[in-house]
Formats: sequence, C-alpha cells, structure tokens
Amino acid sequence: MSAQTAGPETLGHLSEEPPPVDPNSKQAKTITGKSPLRIAFGRLARDKIAVVCAAVVLFFVLVAVFAGAICSIFNVDTETVLATTRVDFLNNGLPLKGPPNHGFDPAHPFGVAPNTGNDNLAFWVYGCRTSLMIASIATLFASVLGVSLGLLAGFLGGPVDKIISFFTDFFLTVPFLLAALTIAPIVSQRFATSPHYARIQLIDLIVVLSVFGWMGIARLIRGEVLSLREREFIQAARVLGMPTRRILVKELLPNLVAPIVVSISLMLPAFVAAEAGLAFLGIGVTSGISWGQTINTASNFFEVYPLFLWEPLIGIVALVLALNLLGDAIRDALDPKTRR
Amino acid sequence: MFAYVVKRLIAGIVVVFMVSMAVFLLFWYGPNEPARPLCDQQTSNHCDTARLARYTENLGYNNPVLSEYGTFVKGIFVGRDMTIGTKTRPCPAPCFGYSYRTTVPVWGEMKTRLPATFSVAIGGASLYLLFGIPIGVAAARRRGTVADKALVSSFLVLSSIPYYLFALLTWLYLTVIFEIPFLSDTGYHPFTDNPAKWFSGLLLAWIVLGIFGCTQYTRYSRGAMIEALSEDYIRTAKAKGLPARTVVYKHGLRAALVPIVTIFGIDFGVLLAGTIFTERIFDIQGIGFWSLQAVTAKDLPVVEATALFSAVVLVVANLLVDVIYSVLDPRVRLS
Repeated sequence: MSAQTAGPETLGHLSEEPPPVDPNSKQAKTITGKSPLRIAFGRLARDKIAVVCAAVVLFFVLVAVFAGAICSIFNVDTETVLATTRVDFLNNGLPLKGPPNHGFDPAHPFGVAPNTGNDNLAFWVYGCRTSLMIASIATLFASVLGVSLGLLAGFLGGPVDKIISFFTDFFLTVPFLLAALTIAPIVSQRFATSPHYARIQLIDLIVVLSVFGWMGIARLIRGEVLSLREREFIQAARVLGMPTRRILVKELLPNLVAPIVVSISLMLPAFVAAEAGLAFLGIGVTSGISWGQTINTASNFFEVYPLFLWEPLIGIVALVLALNLLGDAIRDALDPKTRR
Repeated sequence: MFAYVVKRLIAGIVVVFMVSMAVFLLFWYGPNEPARPLCDQQTSNHCDTARLARYTENLGYNNPVLSEYGTFVKGIFVGRDMTIGTKTRPCPAPCFGYSYRTTVPVWGEMKTRLPATFSVAIGGASLYLLFGIPIGVAAARRRGTVADKALVSSFLVLSSIPYYLFALLTWLYLTVIFEIPFLSDTGYHPFTDNPAKWFSGLLLAWIVLGIFGCTQYTRYSRGAMIEALSEDYIRTAKAKGLPARTVVYKHGLRAALVPIVTIFGIDFGVLLAGTIFTERIFDIQGIGFWSLQAVTAKDLPVVEATALFSAVVLVVANLLVDVIYSVLDPRVRLS
C-alpha cells in the first residue's frame, strides 16, 4: 500500500530482495508486484519462531475472548458460594480435593485456591482476559497519542516541535511504575466506596499505561518524519497545494506503517508485563481478577502448593515471551537490514 | 562548556519545579478527603465530621492552594511547624510533612531508608556493567559465530521474561525451597553494624539485578561495538598494524561507550529512585518498599515525598548524563 507513495530508493532497495518462491516452479518466472508489507508478511510466514509465537498469542487471544464459554465447558465459575466445602481451614486453608495433596479433581482441573476456594481455571481464564484487554486498549491509546504527536512534531517543526519534544523528554524522565504508585492511593481514596470501583481501577490503569507509554513511538515517528518530509513526494504534495492534514494522513502515514507496527508489537508485551507487575505489587487491579494478583497470593503458599503459583506465572511468561519474540520477528521482517 | 552546563541546569530546575507543582496539585485535588487517612489513624477509626474538619483545617486544606504550595516549598528549604492531632510539632529543614502512619517527619525516616536503596542500586549496577560490557564486546568481536548467536538468542529470551517473575522465582527457590545457607537471609542490615550480614543479605538481590541488567547491557554494548568496529578509522588502525587488543579497546570501545553511558545514567537514576520490585521481593527496607507500604496505608505525605525524591534523582541523573555526554562527544554541546 505504501509502494505508490514511496520514493524510488525504496523500490530499488526492495527489488534487490531474492525472490521468495522456489526458483524451479513456474510461478517464479512470472513477475508480480508485491507491496512491502506483503513481502514482509511472506518473510514472517517463513520464520518458524514467528509462526510458533503467533500461534501461542492466538491461543491466549482465543482464551481471553471466549473466557465465559471456556468456563462453562469445564463447568467452573469465578464465584465461590461456600469456601468451607472446598478448602480445609484446619490445614492452612489448603484444598480438600485436587492438588496439591489429593491428586486430580475433575470438577476443578487447575485446582482451587487456598483459603478462598476460588477455582483456579476460571481465575486463569479471566486473568488472561484482564491482561490482554488492558494491554491492548492501552497500546491503542498510547500509539494513537504517540503517532499523532510524533507526526506533528516532525512535520511542523519550530515551536510545536520544541514543546512536544520537551514533553516527550519530560515524560521519559518519570518512570511509569512510580507514576502508577503515586496515583494509586489517590484513586483508591477517592473512589474506594464507589460501586464502579473495579471499572474505575481498570480505566485508571489504562490511562496511566497510555500516558506513560507514548514517548518511545512519538520519538521514533518524529525522527522518521524529519527525514521523510524533505523527500520529493512530500515537496510535490506541498507544491500541489495539498492541505497539511492530507499530507500527514495520506502521504506520511502510509510510509510510517513499518515503525508503527514494530512499536505496537513491542508495546503490547511491555503492557502485559506491567499490568501483572502492578497487580503483583497490589497497586494495579486489586478488586478484579488478574494474574499478577494471583501470583502475589500464591507466593505465600509456594512451599506447599507450587502449582497455584506456576499457573498464572506460566501464563504471563508464555504470553510476554511469545509477544516479544513475535515483535522481534516482525521487526526483522519489516527491516531486513537489522537482521542479526 | 560552562554555558552548556548552565543551560542544562536551568532546564533541570524548571523540570523539578514542574514536577513538584504537579505532585502537589495531584495530592491537593486528587483525594476527596485528604485529611481522612490521618484522622482515621489518629482517632483509631473514630473519625467523625467535627474531627475531620479539625484535621482538614490543621493540615491547611482550607487555605488557598497556591499559598499552601508556598508553605510547602518554604518548609522544604527552611522547615516549618505542623499541627498533627492536638500537638504542634516542629518539622526541620527538608520538611516533607509528617508520616500519617508513624507520625515522624518524613525526611527523618527517608534518611534511614536511603542506604538500603543505594546499596541495592550500586551493587546491582556495578555487577551488570562489570559483566554486561565485556560480554557484549566479546560477542561483537565474534559476531556471527555459533557462540555469539547462542548468547544473543538466550539473552533475548531471558530479557523477555518480566523482571519481577525472574526475581520472585529465584527468591522462592533459593531461599524458601532450598534454603541456601549464605543467601537465604535476604534483607537490609546496616553496613556499619555488620558488614558480613549486609553483604549476605543483599547478595541475592545484586545477583538477580545483575543477571537481568547484564542481558540488556550485553545487547546494547554488542550493538554499539558492532557499529564502532565497522567504522573506517578501525580499518585504518588495523591497517597500520596496531595489535588487535588496542584496536578493540582503545579505538572501538571508547566510541562504543558513549551511548552506553547515556543509557546507564538514566537506568541508574531509576534504580536510585527506588528499586520497588527488588525491595518488595527480597524484603529490603528501602525507598521503594517504603513507598509501596505507604500506598497501601494511604500515607499520602510519604507517597508525595518519595515521588518528589525520585523526580529530583532522575533530573540530576539526566543532567549528569548530558554533561558527561558533552565531554565524551563534543558535537553535542556545539550544536
């Protein structure tokens, strides 16, 4: 899609790529036009690690989307009616059936949590939903904010660039963990009694993540725009009298697809990790279901009930690892020069 | 050079001023009853409307916001008197208010916690610099070999795992399950009391921080080194017959260190501002853990003070980085 607007240098560079299809087949002989994104996608599809990671990510996305259905298939629920029917309070609140001491319990495939008697599978599935939902919404907001500020700063230059760059540097100096830590008590003080506290906490988390997550992409886009705006096709558009907004959206944006896709794919795992980390510290999702929160509870029971900790831990590690490696593969596919 | 430093200094002061203003306003307008946590604490949860009104008045929440900000700033420089409960107490020079939870001046408690955070930060950072840069340089010199590829991909996987999970698992296995004798007693013991205990309490935190930082610094220094080694002057140095060691360390590493210094300065600032996860997991009573406990207890002055403290530390770190950078790379200050 950006081939039409890209300069001649880009096209020349792309034509140096070896043909992706087998040279012996007949199809290889016919030359077809391919957009840079399709070339990149082809490279990605041949990268085994990327395919495996994409499958893992897809699995988690499906779990998150169909959380309710999965729970009803296994006949489990996030609600616990009577904890005493599931856990033994005389024995440190450990479960009566299932892991860690009583083998496998088909009613609760992942076991139940000590003390509260909550079903681990239901909490795992809904924890996955919380994690992916917060991370993807925050990524969306952060990248929209970052891309638009980066575009404006790079293209307009002058005082606009100065102001935006100042704020970029300013927000970069504030570590987001500290910001989340500072805002958490205020939100809990103000809204703790509100009936929508869980939802307010989610919104607060998304706002903090996006407000402290846009700077990297803004910087990157600004740098790209600075070099792109001197190119012939932008000058041509200006000479033709195209309005600034149209130049930004129709001419510049399509040329920035690669850096945007790369930033987004690396932002997502960072936000998944951050969400769980905050919940682990007790300043993120505290009145909902989150993997980080389960890990925090489970680390106290690790000696007697390691499975309880391993379940959410494997969830986070697998999701973050797969997203990170996939992001890395996407970067390599979009920009072959950085290949290791 | 002098003009550049002054310019950066002024910018730094502006940022500190902005952050202090932002934090103050956040804590002024954020909570709907800012005096409530103190009132609850002081009256053991028998805080009625009259008492709350008195606490609100005593803490200055009825005065105009700007004059209270003035009092707050003045208190930081010259100290002031504060009325907590029924008594008026002095709050000496860097006055950040009284902790709601323990009713001692915030700065006094912060001073006792600074050594713990600094010990963790300095130990961890020196470990990852000491290992990260040489490993990165070695990998860059052997670029493309099997060893290099194995190292890069294993470090990529390791650094993709969230830090706190890595730290938590290490702590759980080494101290709870296996109870390794020298490592398992994690926590902070003042160096002056018992240096051996200080060392053994922090060792595990250092190692974990070191390993994790090492993966990142290896990547940075490998990248910077590859770039530096592909420069023309390296070829010239090789061509005139300099020994490989001189070429790599004197001509290559010196150029490669410039970006690493920048990243390290900011990273180290973040560490000094509070290693929250490390302190929480290894039970080290530093700034990070303290602010976390304050958040749970709604101890607003402590949260406010730690936020300000970390902002100042980060601004100073940034300033130092800029100055060092301008010494290492004169092009920066001339542009």
